[in-house]
Amino acid sequence: MHWFESQLLTLHQLAEAYNFSQTQKGNDILNMSEQGRQKRAAFIEAVQALVNRVIDSSGVTACAAYHDGLILAQSGKTPDTDALGALIQESIRVAQKGEAILNLGAIQQIVIVGDLNKIAMITVGPITLCVLSPKQTNLALSLSQYNG
Amino acid sequence: MSNIQSIEFRRSHSGEIDSILRNLMSLQGVTAAAIVDSDGLVTHIHRDFEVNTDALGASVQIVFGAASKAARHVGHNLANIVICENTEGYVLLAPIEAGFMLALVTEREALLGRVRFELKETIPVLKKLFASFL
Repeated sequence: MHWFESQLLTLHQLAEAYNFSQTQKGNDILNMSEQGRQKRAAFIEAVQALVNRVIDSSGVTACAAYHDGLILAQSGKTPDTDALGALIQESIRVAQKGEAILNLGAIQQIVIVGDLNKIAMITVGPITLCVLSPKQTNLALSLSQYNG
Repeated sequence: MSNIQSIEFRRSHSGEIDSILRNLMSLQGVTAAAIVDSDGLVTHIHRDFEVNTDALGASVQIVFGAASKAARHVGHNLANIVICENTEGYVLLAPIEAGFMLALVTEREALLGRVRFELKETIPVLKKLFASFL
């Protein structure tokens, strides 16, 4: 498993741990509140850390994380955060239609390649991670090991 | 059933509410986090600038009341979060329980998705706290 995949796996695990903490039932509200906050902070801090590290990979121009189309974390030069958020939401909506029609399963990744640049969108728990790079960048290779 | 709670119980719940507000204040760009009651009075506040709490409390209830009416008019049922995008930042409002509201004031450079995510995840906890508190 290469570097970025292992980072995504960690994020998935943290997202699941947070989700699990939210489904816990009981009367100890204070403890549940504290635990939920800690699990959420662990997940979000890991997202921010990954966003900050991905930008060190060769060819990556920007990396950002979105929740419901709104910016959650960013590094590098994101051209227009609001427009990118809208693009992500629309892309995921269209992909989800395909998911139902083509029996793809839950959408994990969407890649849009333009003449000049490309964008990879990766869903991790409740958030979408975006990696922007020039078209010719081999993202799989760039993200295979940490270059920081 | 009696709503009378021991002073220790109320103190621990109030302490948890303060922890939640402190956590919200730790987010990038958040400059104030407040809980406002149904009369527009600020019951809990954490802030890093001077703010007129009476004006804040009153405007929170007025803005949320207007947004709730608008939501009903267009058949959207209840308003869950109201976001005011201003020249210098955002104000986010969310109802808690029994007319209590959570209000967040941020600077322009706050990451709106981050603040909204935290707000959305915090509200159910605050609802539970207030339900057992009131």
